[in-house]
Formats: sequence, structure tokens, C-alpha cells
Amino acid sequence: MAALIRRLHICAGLVVFAQFLVYGIAGIAASVQPSLERPKVPREVRSIPFQREAGESDKAVAARVYELLKPELSRPVPDWFLRKNSEGNLLLDFYNINGIYRTVVEPRQLRVELIRNSAALFLEDIHAANLGGDPGPGLVRVWAAWNEAGIWALLFFCVSGAYLWLATRPGWKWAWVSLAASSLIFGAFWVVFQ
Amino acid sequence: MCGLAALPFLLMYAVSAVQMAHNKWFNTKPASVSVGTPAVIDAGLVDAAVVAGKLQLRGDIRGKLPKFRVVVPSVVHEVTYIAENGVVTVNTTRARFMGVLNRLHHAAGLWPSYMPLRLWGVAIGLVSIATLGLAITGIVMWWQRKQDRVVGLILLGGNVAFALVVLGMIRAAGP
Repeated sequence: MAALIRRLHICAGLVVFAQFLVYGIAGIAASVQPSLERPKVPREVRSIPFQREAGESDKAVAARVYELLKPELSRPVPDWFLRKNSEGNLLLDFYNINGIYRTVVEPRQLRVELIRNSAALFLEDIHAANLGGDPGPGLVRVWAAWNEAGIWALLFFCVSGAYLWLATRPGWKWAWVSLAASSLIFGAFWVVFQ
Repeated sequence: MCGLAALPFLLMYAVSAVQMAHNKWFNTKPASVSVGTPAVIDAGLVDAAVVAGKLQLRGDIRGKLPKFRVVVPSVVHEVTYIAENGVVTVNTTRARFMGVLNRLHHAAGLWPSYMPLRLWGVAIGLVSIATLGLAITGIVMWWQRKQDRVVGLILLGGNVAFALVVLGMIRAAGP
């Protein structure tokens, strides 16, 4: 039995190896993030000729801008997210997993700021992609499908790893000490956070 | 040993990740939501942390006066304070077990003002390093098993190629 579990443990690990690297890097990125706020410094600003028609609603303008820009992996801005900037111009944030196409509808042009997340923030976001709810565009959905395997594999590794330890080296003192220490630390956090 | 040292944290991540991926399977509604009755404390306070201290609320302060939140993973206090007369209202939301796991999953970093959350952030940093360590030592352990090298190369190669292609295509999409 232990041999079979070991083989499954190893094979499952190889199938989701990249996901595990992503989880680890995402955790480190979250650990060193200076705040919840993310930098929104554009790496490039583009101006695109655009004329708002007389009487055209914000909703209609947003739809037309989306058709014009076709920002990759993004979706139209929902009605409830239509905002104005301090100058009273319509502000459209087209989000995708890489960042934001921040678009300001100025009187005679669109000002498009390309705000790109760092690679670490990208991995932080992509690690959370899953098939539940609304997984987003096709490519992200493909990743989410494999990520689903990563999630279940993580659960399996916890159980199979503990089983392999108990089945093969139950008397290993340092293993008991490690588990006891981490369980105590986790338990202490749990109590403090109540 | 690295895995056992990280096991409680990894279990928390695994179970909460299943919960997030399959939200409908779990009851994540708050255990309780209490709407506080207005009370009066000192007027003229200008710091949310001082208001929270007067109310003996402990947790990370999010937001600024007149409305802010005091957050720990299982409890969120929403505080409204009127500086002119010192009237303060506290609404409290308590999470269920799965809700707490969910919030622990999202708690990380050294930026919170609340020391236990910062210590948690340190622990999460270490667990993240351990996760990378588990992946890398797992590769070494697999390579040492000569009977699994061929099938392993196929599985690992497939996974790495998939990840490079899909993540590369997503990343190339811009902005």
C-alpha cells in the first residue's frame, strides 16, 4: 500500500509541479507586498482619436470604446463600474490578469494608460484562477482547469505525505517535533485571531 | 520534515482553496452579524487606532475616520465615529470555520498594523519558501527512483511545457 501511495504522491507531484512553483512564488510575493494597494503606474500612455457623439450615454460610449480597443483578455466595463475622473471625463478600467487598460474618454481622444502588473503580482493572481464562479477568458480558463488539479493535489499531498511518514518512519522523532511545533503555532494563531 | 512542519498551513490552504473553487459546497455566510447600539466615547479623536483602543477592539485597522474596520481573520468590526460628539457605533461580523480558513488564506504580508497578523505574514513567507522546497526536493526524490524516471519525465515535461505555453500566452496578451 505504501509503495502505491508513494508512486501516486510522486506522479501527482510531477503533474502539478509548475502549479506548486506558482503557489510558492505567489506566497512569497504576497509576503513582501508593501500594502494591499497595488502600483498603478502606467508603462505606456497612448492617445487614440475618438469623438463622443452628442447625447451618447456613458454606457454606449463604454461599449464603443471596448469595440475600438478590443483589450485582450478583458471584458466590457459593467454599467455599475462606469465612473468619472476629477475632470468629469468618463473613466473606463478594462481589467485583465496582467493589469489594467485605464482609458479616459477625453473630448477629442481616448487616453489609454497601460498599467502592467509585475511578474510576481501576475503569479499571485493566476494562482487563484479556478473553475468556480466566473473563470474568465478561454486561456485563463485553461490554466484554471489545471489549477483545479493543483488544488486537489495539494489536499492529496497533505494526506498521502502524512500517511507515508506514519507508514514508513513513524518513530522519527524530528518529524513528530516538527508537526507538533507547527500545529502549536497554527493553533496559537487560530486562538489569537478569534 | 519540511512538509510536516508546513502541514497545518498547507492543509489550511488546500481546504480553503477547495472552498473558493467550489463555493456552493460550503456555507460561507457569517456565523453572526451584530448591529451595535450607538455609544459615546471621547469627542474630537482624530486617529482610528485610538478610537479602536478606546473600544478595546484588537485587529488591523483598515480605512480612516469617520468609518473604518478593525479586522482579524475571524471577526470584522465596522466602526463609525462622529468626532463632534464622540458617538460611536460598532457592527460586528463573525465568520464560520470555513470563512476563517478563507480569510487566513488571504492574510499575508508584513504591512498590517496588528502584530499577530504581521507574525502570520512571516509564517506565510516561510511556508511559501517551504512550498518551493517541497517541489524541488520532490523532483530530487523522484529522480532517485530510477523505475519512475521515464513516466516521470513525460508527466513533468507535459506539465512544464503546458505551464510555459499557457502562462506565456496569457502574459503576452498585455497591457
